[in-house]
Amino acid sequence: MTQGTGRSDVYSTFKAWSLRAFGSRYLRHPGFVTGLVIMILTSFVALTAPWIAPYAPLETDMSKTLAQPSWEHLLGTDQFGRDILSRLIWGARISLEVALMVVVISLTFGTLIGAIAGYAGGWVERCMMVVNDILLAFPGFLLALALVAARGSSLESVIIAVSIAYTPRVAAVMRSVVLTIKPRPYIEASQAIGMTATRVLFVHVIPNSLPPVIVVATVSAATAILAEAGLSFLGLGVQPPTATWGNVISDGQSYIISNPWISISAGSCIAVVVIALNLLGDGLRDTLDPQMRRYAGSRML
Amino acid sequence: MVKYLARRLFLMGITVIGMVTVVFFLIRLIPGDPAEYMLGDYATKENLAALRAELGLNLPIYKQYLRFTQRAFTGDLGNSVVTGQPAMDEVIESLPWSAALALGGIVIAIIIGVPLGVISAVRQGSWTDLSVMLIALAGISFPVFWVGLVGILIFAHEIPLFPALGATSSGNVLRQLHHLALPALVLGSSVAAYIARLTRSAMLEVLSQEYVRVARAMGIPESRVVYRLALRNALIPVLAVIGVTFAWSLGSAILVEAVFSRPGLGSMILKAIFARDYQLVQAGVMVLSLAVVLINTSLDIVYGLVDPRVRAG
Repeated sequence: MTQGTGRSDVYSTFKAWSLRAFGSRYLRHPGFVTGLVIMILTSFVALTAPWIAPYAPLETDMSKTLAQPSWEHLLGTDQFGRDILSRLIWGARISLEVALMVVVISLTFGTLIGAIAGYAGGWVERCMMVVNDILLAFPGFLLALALVAARGSSLESVIIAVSIAYTPRVAAVMRSVVLTIKPRPYIEASQAIGMTATRVLFVHVIPNSLPPVIVVATVSAATAILAEAGLSFLGLGVQPPTATWGNVISDGQSYIISNPWISISAGSCIAVVVIALNLLGDGLRDTLDPQMRRYAGSRML
Repeated sequence: MVKYLARRLFLMGITVIGMVTVVFFLIRLIPGDPAEYMLGDYATKENLAALRAELGLNLPIYKQYLRFTQRAFTGDLGNSVVTGQPAMDEVIESLPWSAALALGGIVIAIIIGVPLGVISAVRQGSWTDLSVMLIALAGISFPVFWVGLVGILIFAHEIPLFPALGATSSGNVLRQLHHLALPALVLGSSVAAYIARLTRSAMLEVLSQEYVRVARAMGIPESRVVYRLALRNALIPVLAVIGVTFAWSLGSAILVEAVFSRPGLGSMILKAIFARDYQLVQAGVMVLSLAVVLINTSLDIVYGLVDPRVRAG
């Protein structure tokens, strides 16, 4: 990204997002394209679940419990005779909803917290970062688990808990990016012509810091899907009989020897989407921000 | 160095106080009366009042907080509502199980992850690199509990190498290790994927530096360049991130313990959650998080000893 046409970096950021640049940069990145195609397909499946799922996700057929894969039930049925394929198709909705909501929430709050801390500096920054570091010190999954335990298990709880656990990561990245942007001449110039701090923050600082943060957000979507599946598996996430990928794995756990397809297919769904999001993240990192390639390894874990 | 040490320890102190505060407020997130919620169907007027008094729920919130903090720092985290035993005793009982799993996992992860990362960096752009990176991508993308289930299916059922249960009550160390092997391998393989990705990028960074080019120009054999000159420097950032990975792997360990029905802090916290034994949940979460902070601080100090640049930062 170039700088110095007199216009701020916002211009070049938008340019990077323009359609032609998108075609030439992103579509040549094999990982990005693979990730994008998988995510588009999964979103399509999730959105059209009521029409494409062969059975209703909760429809039981006690005459066909634990059926092996057949033309009638492509991935077999579970102990209540529910069609696994249909449950996986409906489960995609929950996983994507969790991923999307966690990204929206943690991106909004993480960006704001990180930007304010980085831009304000001084004791404001110090106080905010101490709190942030404390939350970061907790293992993310443990914090989410404890929050869900305290709030009770529901989709809403899972989304809130995972967001709280992962917002500090976004905030930490945002702050470090803002620190590199703050001393740039156009920020100083905006202050010199009398723009208010809030305006500088929203017009210049935040838009210019977004690219690396978007990379982190993509990866946190992947982490959110894994966390939701883990919580569901432990029986603390979205409660059965709702079809989620974690619940399907958990249902299949008791039949892993006789009907391995139940758990294996659900785990593969999770893996495919998480791989796609990681590929998207790697692709965005390589194209949006070449500098970050060097720190490829140290990104959010 | 003394200044660096003092700063690190001061930061650790603040983090510990912050953690105690977070854990204190966690139990207060329960909607309604926590005492009623914890006792559930067993609630009688007398034991509700007793539990409220024990938790200090009838005191103003700041007094509750002070009392909780004071007790926490003396190691008193209250009693388990279910067994009546001090929560700390139960935590200490399950701690060695978790420590063994986490340690086993991280050792396996380093043994697998570091060489894979090095090979992949040395052959950057080759088929080896691509396949190692694809395997690593799969490793960080498959849910660890699912890997555990498939591990049981393959290595305990199809090819019965390991027991499906992750623990035995036998005192025999070899049998214990035999039970630990599969869970540790499952946990280790997912962490190994992270470490491989990290080592690869750290190695690539070091290999592109001038001193490596000079060494090559001087005719130093490639194996010596890679293993003696580059790897040593690349390992520094890898070491630093292993601390972060460790925290992350403790989260995964909860899932691994659940899959293999292995005792440990994770299983204990889960059991306590389902029994609504919040004192025990509180104690478990606190000790697990403190372990992470202690390990990270010690690693930071070691990092500072090895790399003077860190001390200056």
